[in-house]
Amino acid sequence: MALTVPVIFIFVFAFAVIKKVNVYNCFTEGIHEALKFTVSLLPCLAAIFMMCALFEQSGLADRLCKLLSPVFGFLGIPPELTKLVLIKPFSGSGSLAYLNGIIKQYGADSYVARCACVCFGSSETVFYISAVYFAGVKVKKLALPVICVLAATFISTIVACLICRIM
Amino acid sequence: MNVIFTVVFIASMIAIAIAAPENLLSSLLGGARDAAEMALTLFCIYAVWMGLSALAEKSGLSKGMAKFLKPVSRRIFKTDSDAANECLAMNISCNLLGLGGAATPYAVKAIGELEKQKNSFAQKLLFVINATSIQILPTTVIALRASAGSAAASDIFLPSLICTFVSTAAAVLLFLIGNRIWR
Repeated sequence: MALTVPVIFIFVFAFAVIKKVNVYNCFTEGIHEALKFTVSLLPCLAAIFMMCALFEQSGLADRLCKLLSPVFGFLGIPPELTKLVLIKPFSGSGSLAYLNGIIKQYGADSYVARCACVCFGSSETVFYISAVYFAGVKVKKLALPVICVLAATFISTIVACLICRIM
Repeated sequence: MNVIFTVVFIASMIAIAIAAPENLLSSLLGGARDAAEMALTLFCIYAVWMGLSALAEKSGLSKGMAKFLKPVSRRIFKTDSDAANECLAMNISCNLLGLGGAATPYAVKAIGELEKQKNSFAQKLLFVINATSIQILPTTVIALRASAGSAAASDIFLPSLICTFVSTAAAVLLFLIGNRIWR
């Protein structure tokens, strides 16, 4: 599996050379697109990250965790995972740091850490993706898709904790 | 988004004003700094993948690959635009390969193409599929476990695959049902 990326790169470069594409110019043009794309994302990113920082710093995040832990426990989600499940939709780097903490604290092969890994690996940073995808367009009524994704992520979290018990 | 953003922002500001008012500005600035760092990281990822995808596009490789997946994506997303279908096909193949960084630019391009036809159904469906993660191999997590001294770092592969499938299937199902009721 480690070879996937090298193989793709070599194949694409070789194919471009065979097709007589100006590799350097074309590659640079692609990067120029990347620069424009990143700059267009920055306003949304800044706003959302500020919101996340505020939410975390204000202690509201912790309070929400305390409130929801019993509910999560009832559904079979270990209370240690509450914060991870809540942070993941907002912040990829934040939840990765938290996941790292769980692995260090409980050991990589513990039930809690394995649950955490599966939950982390099978979900995405929903709010960030919605900001990126819909930054340049005027789609309205995003509530339905966002709610569907969050609900589905929650369902898969419950399933993850269940599967990790047997597998 | 607007409603969530405003509500969370105001509620957090009030809570912070009561608990520790001097922290408000510093946490806002910290958030902005995180965003700037994130943008730098993203630029690195996109520079690599969009450079590569420009090559694939110019040499006709992505068009060729899209031909295989086009019938599928046309049926799923209900669009006839060739440009949109090409981007959609590339997005899905990148996702399945676990190349999340390469998948995002294609998705954004596809959404731009779909905007021209005012096909908001396909835009939202694409978001639903991507936001539930259809990654097959969770490389980051496996690497993290291995570095923490796990005995079998990749034994979460199968559970992850099942969960990824469950979440995507559930989200698409919910979305299709909701879409029908909403109207």
